[in-house]
Amino acid sequence: MSMLLAARNPILRWSYFLEQWDRIQGAIFQHLQLTLMSVLLGFIISAGLAAIGLRYRWSIGPITLFAAFVYTIPSVAFFGVLRTTPLGLSVYTVLIPLTGFTLLILVTNILDGFRAVPASVKEAADAMGMTPMRRLFTVEVPVAVPYMINGLRIATVTIVGLVAVAGIVGYGGLGNLIMEGIRRQFWSPLTIGASLSILLAILLDLLYFLLGRWLTPWARTARS
Amino acid sequence: MDADLKGPAIRFRGVTKRFPGTRTQAVDNLDLDIERGSIVALIGPSGCGKTTSLRMINRLIEPTSGLIEVEGTDVSSQPPVELRRGIGYVIQQVGLFPHRTIAANIATVPRSVGWDKARIDQRVAELAEVVGIEPSMLSRYPDELSGGQQQRVGVARALAADPPVLLMDEPFGAVDPIVRSRLQDELLELQDRLHKTIVLVTHDLDEAIKVGDRIALLNVGGVLEQYATPDELLRAPANDFVERFVGEGRSMRRLGLATVADLPYEAGPVVEASADVAAGLAVIDELRTDWLGLVDDDTFLGWIPREELVPGADLASLERFLPAAQVEPTSTLRSALEIIMTSRTSVAVISDNGRFRGTVTLERIRAGLAGDFDAPTEHAA
Amino acid sequence: MMLAQRAIPRDTTLGEWFTDPQSWTGSAGILASLGDTVVLCLAVILTSSLLAVPTAAYLAHHRLAQVTSAWLVNIGRALPTFAVAALLVPVSLRGGYGFEPWPIFIALVLLTVPPMFLSTYVAVREVDPAAVDAARAMGFTERAVLRSVELPLASTVIFTGLRVAGVQVVATEPIRAFLGGDGLGRYIRDGIGQNNATLTIGGTILIAALAGITGLVFSATERLIKPYGVRRLRAHRKPRSGDADEEPDLGDTDEFASHHGAAVGRMR
Repeated sequence: MSMLLAARNPILRWSYFLEQWDRIQGAIFQHLQLTLMSVLLGFIISAGLAAIGLRYRWSIGPITLFAAFVYTIPSVAFFGVLRTTPLGLSVYTVLIPLTGFTLLILVTNILDGFRAVPASVKEAADAMGMTPMRRLFTVEVPVAVPYMINGLRIATVTIVGLVAVAGIVGYGGLGNLIMEGIRRQFWSPLTIGASLSILLAILLDLLYFLLGRWLTPWARTARS
Repeated sequence: MDADLKGPAIRFRGVTKRFPGTRTQAVDNLDLDIERGSIVALIGPSGCGKTTSLRMINRLIEPTSGLIEVEGTDVSSQPPVELRRGIGYVIQQVGLFPHRTIAANIATVPRSVGWDKARIDQRVAELAEVVGIEPSMLSRYPDELSGGQQQRVGVARALAADPPVLLMDEPFGAVDPIVRSRLQDELLELQDRLHKTIVLVTHDLDEAIKVGDRIALLNVGGVLEQYATPDELLRAPANDFVERFVGEGRSMRRLGLATVADLPYEAGPVVEASADVAAGLAVIDELRTDWLGLVDDDTFLGWIPREELVPGADLASLERFLPAAQVEPTSTLRSALEIIMTSRTSVAVISDNGRFRGTVTLERIRAGLAGDFDAPTEHAA
Repeated sequence: MMLAQRAIPRDTTLGEWFTDPQSWTGSAGILASLGDTVVLCLAVILTSSLLAVPTAAYLAHHRLAQVTSAWLVNIGRALPTFAVAALLVPVSLRGGYGFEPWPIFIALVLLTVPPMFLSTYVAVREVDPAAVDAARAMGFTERAVLRSVELPLASTVIFTGLRVAGVQVVATEPIRAFLGGDGLGRYIRDGIGQNNATLTIGGTILIAALAGITGLVFSATERLIKPYGVRRLRAHRKPRSGDADEEPDLGDTDEFASHHGAAVGRMR
């Protein structure tokens, strides 16, 4: 009986993959879309928060505390609670938590990046007659870039994993395939959804690594 | 900034700086004239306001009251950004931009002021040569360079737009003593060619003595205790504070500062080879030495011990002792002293490219210390 | 598995739900779910720390496998826990082990080992070399250097790593309810299923409370077992102010340190 079951419901059936390719493609696309949207949105908000933090030092504590609080909300709880609010099954139900989860990672990394600019470098920039704006954009931002890339890298990889969790409210790209598999106890969509989201995370991680190397040649040479 | 080329390059008039929230002044009513083309070392214990004074020149810090002029223009009347582009600045931690190549670092100010690329490239290559940076390093990043090399790049970057004034805040404080000494020598060579007005903050008295044309010694609370040439500071400390700061070994330090050429010329116990024994004896009796030197015009022939000088002997044919202890006019008195102490004759011959110029004795050096090495020395030719 | 739910009326308030004895008892009750969650989390934390801390300390002491470790930690952090657990479900069922605990257990261990390993590795590596040299000079064996100098000095950072990972486990464990399992996540799952906000919010409150208690338990444990000298060290150390002018140079930017500096890793 169980042998029979196993034969009918293998962990992955290739024909399913081929037949359902359109749906899988759609799931990948939605997964990527949600990931990029929330990371981008998160980065914009974090950059704003970091700017406030750098301008008004006292605000760094409360900002970090807020971001850390959001970050520790269990993802299933965040999605679940929003699902039962009037937001229901809209994109906001997943986008709000996903964006919220990026804040702590991005804010800390952006702040670390700006704090990593040595005081002597800033002093030298001033002493050479750079205007504050010029100093910010030609000296401080470039020096902070590796930290920002690192933050984006961690945030993106984290979000790829969390988009899959958003499958529990039916709006989670590859996570939808996972949930479908669990519900029907039919393993092909589950295996495809899970492996592709793992693959996606690792690929994006690698992509950021290469992007970082490409954008920061000075750090690369120093490391070698 | 080409106005008023007669006055001092930098002028402090009644400059006081009090930081908010502090009771005492960082700099107190400072008057200081810094001559064009000279190196002035600001030195003093920590808290004496030397760095604050330096940073007020390019308005990294604004004075509470008083006037600072650079090349005859009140700095507070110029926008800081423009003022700073005309003043080179070198700091201990160098502060090279880690994300830019060496060439791009050097080109910072020329780029800001809008030079064209060809002119910038030429200037970068020129400066690399001036400060001794290999052209192959220009495309590297700061992290790949040693501390000494980074400091050279820092100097090149400060000189890039050819500013008449260079401010240096403990520029050699972060490198090891051997490299530091070499960088100091290089700075002096550079200055011989460029004739910048350089203000240098240091906590190292030896550095101040070595590179400074004048030294401004500040006390805690920003009080100027003495502003003088290194020799004057060592010879005639203005007060107890200066004397304590300069400390022990003042004379030895002065000996390291003055050269043989600073002593008045003196032939010493020396006669021409054509003279007779009686004349030779007369010379060494008068100078109370045991050795007689023989010269032939401006060639030193050697030493003859007093015992050999028997009446009737022919000076030119007596056995002469060589080599003689030698110093050069550019030798420091300290090294002359060293040579004299270890020589059998207690006299060192001054040799200027092999030509006899006179002699130095312990007595001459001691007499020299009593005087003023800054005063021009007449050398009878 | 997913059958053990009890439908509750949608107009039940949070207060009513929490005060109804029926909510607490039975196989789907809060007490049983809490027990499930606590047991699994404890098992995960214990397993992960036993795997990560000694290995990391040993490798860091001998300065071994720096590149490999950094690489493994990075890959480990890229693994999405939910997907990994899901992938393991059919495998576990095939092997006859059921929906749980193995898939969720393995996924949570994979989630927590990298940050624990990383914080331990960095902490031991960054111990003041002078203290280590002094210990060696006094004839400590390498083992003793690690045990009585490096580990105590690194303990603050190691404990922080354990605490963060522990809270993370508690916050992530609820995904288990969506993969055919039980635990506190069931109320969120059932709330979504019945479109009942009382259940989702109630479940969220329970999970948040447990996460908070977990953090406190870790802090208390740390105070209890950390050597007195190290505690003093921390209490008396001048706080590193956030003054940017005092920040050290961007010297140590290798993969390891920069991740460590970010302090927060991937969670859930």
